[in-house]
Amino acid sequence: MTVPILPTTMVGSYSMPGWLERLKTDYFARRISRHDLDEIHDCAVRSAIKDQEMAGLDIVTDGELRRDNMIDYFIERLPGIQIDRSSKKFYYDFYDSEVLGKIPMAALGLVDDFKFLLANTERETKFCITGPHSLCKRVRNKYYPSDEALATDIARVMNMELKELVKAGAKLIQIDEPYYSGFPEDLPWGVEVLNKLVEGVNAKIAVHICYGNRYGKPSWEGSYRYLFPSILEAKVQQLSLEFARRGGEDLDLFREFSPPFELGAGVIDVKDQAVESPDIVAERIRKVAKFVPLEKISVLPDCGLFHLPRDIAFAKLRAMVDGTKIVRKELGR
Amino acid sequence: MILHLNHTRQESAAASTSEVVSTFLTLLEEGHLSAAQFARLQIYLDWLQYKQNFREPITLMQSAGQTPSMEVRIDSRQVSPGCLRQLVQKAIQPDAGSPGPIYLEDFRSLRSSIVWDFNQLYWQRLKDWERATGKSYEKALPGGVSDGHHPQAISDSARDFWKLLKDLETRNQLPAEIFVLEIGVGLAMRAGMWLDRFRALDQENGTSYYPRVRFLLGDYSLSTLERSRPAVKKHIDLCSFIALDALDPTKALSFLRHKVLHVHSSNMYDNLPDEEVVWRDNRLYWVQVRAYIPPEEAVRIGSAFGLAVDGVVRTVNRLLEVGPNALPDPEKGMGFWMEIWKAIRFEERLVDAVDLPEVALPAGLSYVQMEDILKDAPGDLRLHLSSGALESFRNTLPLLHPRGYLHVQDIFVTDLHEYCMGFYGPGKLDGSIVNWVNGALLREVAHRAGYDLHFAPFRYRVGSKTSILYTTQRE
Repeated sequence: MTVPILPTTMVGSYSMPGWLERLKTDYFARRISRHDLDEIHDCAVRSAIKDQEMAGLDIVTDGELRRDNMIDYFIERLPGIQIDRSSKKFYYDFYDSEVLGKIPMAALGLVDDFKFLLANTERETKFCITGPHSLCKRVRNKYYPSDEALATDIARVMNMELKELVKAGAKLIQIDEPYYSGFPEDLPWGVEVLNKLVEGVNAKIAVHICYGNRYGKPSWEGSYRYLFPSILEAKVQQLSLEFARRGGEDLDLFREFSPPFELGAGVIDVKDQAVESPDIVAERIRKVAKFVPLEKISVLPDCGLFHLPRDIAFAKLRAMVDGTKIVRKELGR
Repeated sequence: MILHLNHTRQESAAASTSEVVSTFLTLLEEGHLSAAQFARLQIYLDWLQYKQNFREPITLMQSAGQTPSMEVRIDSRQVSPGCLRQLVQKAIQPDAGSPGPIYLEDFRSLRSSIVWDFNQLYWQRLKDWERATGKSYEKALPGGVSDGHHPQAISDSARDFWKLLKDLETRNQLPAEIFVLEIGVGLAMRAGMWLDRFRALDQENGTSYYPRVRFLLGDYSLSTLERSRPAVKKHIDLCSFIALDALDPTKALSFLRHKVLHVHSSNMYDNLPDEEVVWRDNRLYWVQVRAYIPPEEAVRIGSAFGLAVDGVVRTVNRLLEVGPNALPDPEKGMGFWMEIWKAIRFEERLVDAVDLPEVALPAGLSYVQMEDILKDAPGDLRLHLSSGALESFRNTLPLLHPRGYLHVQDIFVTDLHEYCMGFYGPGKLDGSIVNWVNGALLREVAHRAGYDLHFAPFRYRVGSKTSILYTTQRE
């Protein structure tokens, strides 16, 4: 299946229902079994896929509803990382975790999640993972000489998983690296680690860099200028950046540096419950198009929709799709 | 009979536990109470934080819960020594022939009670009230002074903020405009002192933060904002005066989402609309109130102001519309207002939350969360919902810059168990209402919104009941 010009997709996560939050927390309190939780997750993911299809997205994700947060889902699959399982009171909390020895190679079990997504939609798919830089910032490092060394080893293990995902049919993989914005000084080595992560992975790679969305609020502020020129070395095909909440000032950087990447442009503010009109979305797309060729633009929300109520998340996706249609119509495409 | 001793003030409590026990045993022996009533009797011996409040010394309520019982609440501070027995007997066996209370409203949540109209009138006509009492609002505070204006506290606050800016500058993250917001400005004495101190620090250290500060003074009252200008006149170029609703500051300041580095308020949360709930038998009950004037007070006030008893209620309604001009002589109107305010009491009843499907908890709290919060709390607990404070708090957080923080100087109950050791309002403070703020609930709401809450005792004045709430980012 081919996607139209200005393909629409989510950054990754879909609205986390209150009832699912409750059940996840019940699981951590040992009130429901793993088996029951897995079934619940299956239902929730199917529902998230259906919502994306109904909203009209061209490329769908699994909504990341199996994940407690963007860190723990990966940390607990990485062998050799010690987790204090009593440290989580609410499902969304981060585990306290530490690495005490070299991380061995192992399958992370993400392929099953991808296969479930593939089996439940006929649309194009995208699979999203948290990148090694962000992961290493949440683990207490008691073994490796530096964060860079830890991240490099995480990348080595995850590289194998990405190749397995490709074998299973993944064509578009997104790496989430929001912690770049919190630690801009890490970027030169962060990009090297990113390149190791995607080395030999035969799929289109997008890297999503935002200013954080923990608890539905930004974790940092600043300008994307810090990305340049280091990011130009990244062996990825698409940058996914937020422009709705922050405005489009940083789009100038695409004129200044002419990066070789496609741009996944965030045109939906995920930190505000007010639903954008399709006209506003269209206007935001037109603005991006002044700096990036239309053929190289994908249309996305600023970040995951995790913290928005479902009805609002759905309405925002629909507005995004409708706004994109306005621009496509203007283009006659 | 179960006696709940809800205070720790042995010396200042007029009614002692032994007196309470012997009183009820005597009433039983003399046949004023049946054995069945006695078996189902729940007595709550409270010590009310505010002498001026909305309670009679003895309050009788048919109790809610799985086992219906008779609930007697005793204000151990209000009961005069030796009067307990007489008051209890009168409460449980009222004289059928005596006139009933003069009600000002039907049963409703405290938040919707007419007393908040009185509270609003007080702030609108503060000058009139101060003139009539001959003392300023501040003099009416328990210590006669507001902790909000303490010079050292203000100096420390300015220094902490300067340190944050320095750190941001070191990280190359200092915004071009530095937004600071004060909600509920009063006469802006604090704002003026804070800006003086901040400018001095900036100059001492050779930083250039001061000219970049955008100091926003927010208050719902335009006249208060106007009155606040002189206190900040030295810094007027940095100041903006913004009419905003303290319950939802983001509405007026949506253009500053995630941009404000410091938000401060003093003694505001304790005066925002509040309501109470009771956690009993693992169920949540709303405390509904009905404001009334005791009949003897209505007669007394009526005769003092030349009004029949039914005219008293009409004049109360008029007072809330036009203030002291409700009477031809505004001075008398002031007197009427003060007498009525002093006389207002609440009748109370508990209603199971399941019977009030239309009543919602404040935004940020769900019944499921409340159950989680209360599951480890004492089994029979009456607590503030602090709905106004919760609303204001939750609607302020979106303004905060990722490195920004909120400081609230106020009176907080920081642990739910404290509700078993005192009764923290509603009380009357001059012509306004005061409620301690349920910090334990605020902490839970903050947690879910991505913040940790901390409460530091106000260490600048011995005996102060104030705490300073401050937020830190939750990872």
